[in-house]
Amino acid sequence: MRRFSIYLLGSVLTVAAGSAAAEPAKTLRILTAGGEWTDAVTKCVDAPFTEKYGIKVELDTPAGYAKLAGLAQSGNVNVALMDLETTELERANAAGLLDPINWDAVKPFDMFPDAKKPYGFASTYFSTIMAWRPDAKEPKNWQEFFDTVNFPGKRALPDYPGYVLAFAALADGVEPDKLFPLDLDRAFKTLERVKGDVIWWTAGGQAAQLLQDNEAQYAIGWSGRLVTKDDIKISFNGGMLDTSWWGAPKGADPAMQEAAWLYLHEYSDPQKQACVANYISYTGPSPELDPLLPQDKLSQFPNYKANRDVQFVTDGKWWYDNAADVEKRWQEFKLAQ
Amino acid sequence: MTLDAEAARLTADKRALPSATIRRPHRVVASGLVWVLPLLVFIGVGFNLPLLMTAAWSLVDQVSGGFTLANYVDFATSKIYLTVVLRTGRVALTVSLICALVGYPLAYWMTGLSRRGQMFALGIIVTSFWVSILVRTYAWIVVLGNAGIVNRTLQAVGLTDKPIPFLYNEVGVTIGMVNVLLPFMLLPLYAAMLQIDPRLRPMAYTLGASSGQFFRRIFFPLTLPALAATFVLVFILSLGFYITPAILGGGKVPLIANMLDILINQFPRWNLAAAISIVLLVLTLALYAVYQLLRRKT
Repeated sequence: MRRFSIYLLGSVLTVAAGSAAAEPAKTLRILTAGGEWTDAVTKCVDAPFTEKYGIKVELDTPAGYAKLAGLAQSGNVNVALMDLETTELERANAAGLLDPINWDAVKPFDMFPDAKKPYGFASTYFSTIMAWRPDAKEPKNWQEFFDTVNFPGKRALPDYPGYVLAFAALADGVEPDKLFPLDLDRAFKTLERVKGDVIWWTAGGQAAQLLQDNEAQYAIGWSGRLVTKDDIKISFNGGMLDTSWWGAPKGADPAMQEAAWLYLHEYSDPQKQACVANYISYTGPSPELDPLLPQDKLSQFPNYKANRDVQFVTDGKWWYDNAADVEKRWQEFKLAQ
Repeated sequence: MTLDAEAARLTADKRALPSATIRRPHRVVASGLVWVLPLLVFIGVGFNLPLLMTAAWSLVDQVSGGFTLANYVDFATSKIYLTVVLRTGRVALTVSLICALVGYPLAYWMTGLSRRGQMFALGIIVTSFWVSILVRTYAWIVVLGNAGIVNRTLQAVGLTDKPIPFLYNEVGVTIGMVNVLLPFMLLPLYAAMLQIDPRLRPMAYTLGASSGQFFRRIFFPLTLPALAATFVLVFILSLGFYITPAILGGGKVPLIANMLDILINQFPRWNLAAAISIVLLVLTLALYAVYQLLRRKT
C-alpha cells in the first residue's frame, strides 16, 4: 500500500511537472549496418549511455530502406532508431515510414544546420573513394581507375548501385559538374566493359581485405575502412561525400522512442563523436569537433577541407526519384552476368 | 493422458487378449494423437503458417495490395530471373555430379577398411560436419586465393607464372559447395553399401567372375538406387545455397538464394521474392518426391 502511494505521489508530481512524455523504456533497439563504425559507436556512445540512464542498447543488422519497409509491412516495428543513407532517408520519409525526430526532447549539443532534418539526425559524414595496392599503377582519375587495359588488375567494387554508378559515369567521360541527372546508359556501359575484372563486395571491410590479399589491385570503398591501412594507397580525388542518418521508424513503441531521444542527445556530444573518430576516421555532426580530433590524422577525415574540395556530394533527390529505374537496371546487369 | 493411465490401459488390453475379437477402441488412436498434438500445432504454427503467408504474399500486388498473378508472370517472363534459375540448376547439377564421382569411390573404399579404419574415416567426415559452414567457406579463400596455398605451390613448382583465378567465379563456388555437400553424398552411400550381403562377392568369384565383373554386374547395380537417391538429395540441397556463392562468388555467381536476398534486403520487392520462393518450394517438393521414389527402391 505504501509503495502504491509513493507511485501515486510520483505520478502526480510527474504530471504536475508538465512532462506528458512516457517513461523511457528499459531497452532501446537500434538497427545498424554493422562493421567498424558500429563497433566504435558501441564503445563510445552506447556504453556510457547505458551507464547514465540504465537503458540497455540492443543492436541488430541489417538496416536500410528495404528492412524498414519490411518491418512496416509486417506491422512489427520493434526498433526505435535506424541507420539510413541519405537516399533511403528521403525515400522512407516520402513513403511515410518515419516519425519526426522530437528535437525538443533530444535537446542536442551544437550541430551543423544541414545535419538536422525534421525526420533525420545526421550520424556521420563518410566518403566513398578509390584505393589501390602500392604495387599497382597509380590512377589519377576515374577514367584511369576503370581503364583495365593500361591499368591491369581486378577491381573490388561495392555491390550497391548508389556507391558505384556515379564513378562509372565519370569514367565514361561525363563532366563532373554535369554528373546529375546521372546518365545510367553511360554508367552501365563502363560496368559492362570491366565486369570480367570485377569482384563485387557487400561488407565495408572487404574492400581493404581484397586489396591486402592481392585478390584485387584496385578498389572503391568507404574511406574509414581504407585510410588507416598503411599498405593501401588512397585518394579523395573525385570521391563522393555522403551522410548517414538516424531515422525513427513509425509505429515504434513510444517508451522506446523516449529512450531514443535520450540516446540522440548523448550522440550529439562532440566528446563522444571524437571518441568514435579515434576508432574510425568518420566525423559526426558537431561543429566543435575539429580541436578534439587527432591533429596528425586530420587529412584522413572526409570532411577535412582539402578533401571536401576535391569531392562531389551525391544527389539524394535524384536517387530517390529514379530508384525504381536504377533497381531494374542494376538487377538486369547484376543477375544476368 | 498420464503414463499411469496408459499403463493401466495396456494391462487392460492384455487382460482382454483371450477374448476372440479385439476391437481396438478409438480411444487408442486418439491417445496417440494427444501425444503428438502439441508437436503438430507447433509445426503448423511455427512452420506452415509462415509458408502459407509467403504464398499469400506472392499473390498480392505490392502497390495496390489487391489480388494479382503479376508476380508469377513477372518471374516467368523476365529473362534475368530465368538466367539465375538456369545458372542455379547448372551449378547444382555440376556439384551433384562431382559429389557422386568423388563420393562413390570414397564410400566404396571405406567399406573395404578394417573396423577401426572405418571408424577413423567416419570420424573425419563427421568432424567436418561440426565445423561451421562459414569457417569452412572462408578457409577456401586461404587455400585458393591468389596468395593462397594452392597458387603459391603451383608457382613454386613452376607450373604457372601467374596465379590461377579459382575464387570469385563459378569454379570457386562449385569447389566450396562440393566441400560442404560431400558428406551428404558419402554417408548414405556408405550405409547402403554396408547393407549389401558380403557373401555375394565370394559367390561371384566362385562362379568365375573377376573383381571388375563383380563390381560392374552385381555390386554397382545394387547400389544404383541409393546413388540416384543421394544424387537427388545433394541436388535439392544445392538449390538453396546462399553463403558459399555469396563468399566465393564475388557477386558474380548469384544463385536463387542470392537473388532473393537482393529482392528482399536491397530492393523491397517482397511479393516477387515470395513468388520466386514458392516456385523454388514446389520445385524442391517435386524433386523430393523423386528422391522418395528412388529411396523405396533401395
